[in-house]
Amino acid sequence: MKQFFSPSSLAVFGVSSAPKNLAKSIVRNCLDMGFKGKIYPVGKNRGTIFDQEIITDPTTLPSDIDLAVILVPSHLVAKTMEICGRKGIRHVIVSTGGFSEFKDEDNQAENDLLKMAKKYQIQFIGPNCIGTINTNSGLCTPFNPLNTNSFKKGKVSIIAQSGGVANQTATYFSEEHIGFSKIISAGNKLDVDELDLIEYLMEDKDTEQIHLYLESIENGKGIINLAKKSPKPIVLFKSNVSRTAAEVAKSHTAALANNDRVVEGALKQAGIIRVRSIHEMTVCAKALRLPPLRGNRLVAISLSGGFSVILGDACESFGFVCPKLPSELIRKVESYRRGGVIRMSNPMDFGDVHSVDVLLETVKQCLALDYIDGIALSFIYSPEMVRMIDVEFSRPGMLLKSIRTISHEEGKPIGLSFFTERVNIEQLKADNSYPVFNDTLESIQALSLLRDYTARKKQGSQQL
Amino acid sequence: MKLIDDAIRQGQTTLSEYESKQVLASYRIPVTVEELVDNAQDLIKVAAKIGYPIVMKGCSADISHKTEKGLIRVDVRNEEEATSAFKEITAAMDGADKSVLVQQMVKGQRELVVGLTRDPQFGPCVMFGLGGIFTEVLKDITFRVAPLEKRDALEMMQEIKANKILEAVRGMESVDKDMLAEILITVGQIGMENEAIKEIDINPLIINGNKPIAVDALVVLEA
Repeated sequence: MKQFFSPSSLAVFGVSSAPKNLAKSIVRNCLDMGFKGKIYPVGKNRGTIFDQEIITDPTTLPSDIDLAVILVPSHLVAKTMEICGRKGIRHVIVSTGGFSEFKDEDNQAENDLLKMAKKYQIQFIGPNCIGTINTNSGLCTPFNPLNTNSFKKGKVSIIAQSGGVANQTATYFSEEHIGFSKIISAGNKLDVDELDLIEYLMEDKDTEQIHLYLESIENGKGIINLAKKSPKPIVLFKSNVSRTAAEVAKSHTAALANNDRVVEGALKQAGIIRVRSIHEMTVCAKALRLPPLRGNRLVAISLSGGFSVILGDACESFGFVCPKLPSELIRKVESYRRGGVIRMSNPMDFGDVHSVDVLLETVKQCLALDYIDGIALSFIYSPEMVRMIDVEFSRPGMLLKSIRTISHEEGKPIGLSFFTERVNIEQLKADNSYPVFNDTLESIQALSLLRDYTARKKQGSQQL
Repeated sequence: MKLIDDAIRQGQTTLSEYESKQVLASYRIPVTVEELVDNAQDLIKVAAKIGYPIVMKGCSADISHKTEKGLIRVDVRNEEEATSAFKEITAAMDGADKSVLVQQMVKGQRELVVGLTRDPQFGPCVMFGLGGIFTEVLKDITFRVAPLEKRDALEMMQEIKANKILEAVRGMESVDKDMLAEILITVGQIGMENEAIKEIDINPLIINGNKPIAVDALVVLEA
């Protein structure tokens, strides 16, 4: 499997120097991303791309190529696969579409492809996919031109059934400063399927979280069994959830068992975290970077009465409680008030305490309480405001690093969000020393994902 | 299971309520005390043995929605009522087999549903939720893939919106959750062990005191 991600050499079939040739973009994307391996562009017609001669006679290819990407018309794919086989290439990405996803009936091209792969013992991803992106090796096989400069390295790997979603996650995870390690578009999964890929990523040292986008689950039992033993969190965005209850079902149970309800239950059993959008994938990825959340008791702290109320509502709607805090702690915080006009409780409104030191000390003491599992902190941040409160925190990184220290010392999470201008939030997110959520509600949603995952994992390990 | 094999041999696609409950009972799922009768004399004897008030239901394999067809009488209190109910039910039944199921009337305000279905991807799956007439209206239900562990069963109880009705509410006792969990696990086990069973509905599963009892059941067979 390693050859699909870090090949030492790559052959790309279907290249031409025509302006709109798609296979050419594969070469360009790899070069842009700094792929260090040797690239062999193969095509029908002579020409030059990116200072390289197009190879028109594939028999002249060397015999030690690790990986081939095939993007030729579907009726020529099997033949191209044979060329690969003869050249000793054992790993292929078939990008070409027009197989079973396009026409249902017995698909000759698909059968031929499988036969050839079997004959030469070739492992292949696809067809109908864009292959893999690896931020570590620089391999980038999508055939659409990508702005690879925007891609950020990270520890999340993503398997997507759809090429479009695969590309979008690359952008989205990078923009949210989570980054990614590997992205795989699995296409029709004729040979390599999501189970093979999950298994590989479970062992991959550059992957800490496995995210999936699937429109269908063909081997439900297989995914459950794999997920149950995965030491890494698995996050799934399952789309295509419309009702498919069998109308002919005789029992109520069968009629009510639309596939999505069953999927929901099955994922819980397996400890797979279910999300409902690409954005929520990123929220979950950030949440999983936090220390575990071992219960549902939070202290909610904000710098405004309004946001305290909003926080309180959000906590309740995600099943959290905000327990009463010790009166000594409350009295101590109250002693730092300027006007003495806001009563302290939980959720806590810090609007009357203009000191980051006191805030951090309070966060620390709250987090240390044995009946508190985590903190939701929805704070203000803007250079102007910060000047008024504490000069030394005018750089965003300083505040985040202090928060990180407290959180890691106590081994409990702080769901952090800021109400400020978007440009400031971006700055905080870019600093990336501790996860920052886009708004209050999102931070609580993130904590709820983390809580549910922690609970499942704990039960699982108790049973072993 | 012989009962199921026989039914398939006779071309049945479902088991009757009586047969369905025998399958459940063989797996130690608590079911109503009941007997089938096909004449008025037996009816009186059986009713006396079970004790009034009783429930009477027209029973054959091809009747699944008994309420809609007027084949159920509940709270039948004496011989006279039983005799006239027997006449009405058998008159309303078409087909040769005119058996009436006489069963204890289980008291309890809380009606739940437990079911089994086969998912093409996940295999046998167990359903749990709010039962009776609310099952279809509110769809307050949840699924797990068999085999179930106890924590799965307990989670299912927690997961339905109406989970509080399992607690001590309005003078009712808190439901015996261990027993309920056992039923959910067992229904999954029935699915795993009997390829011939396609679907099961236990609806309602009534909470009597704090104990669940299968009051009506339907087993659908693989055709």
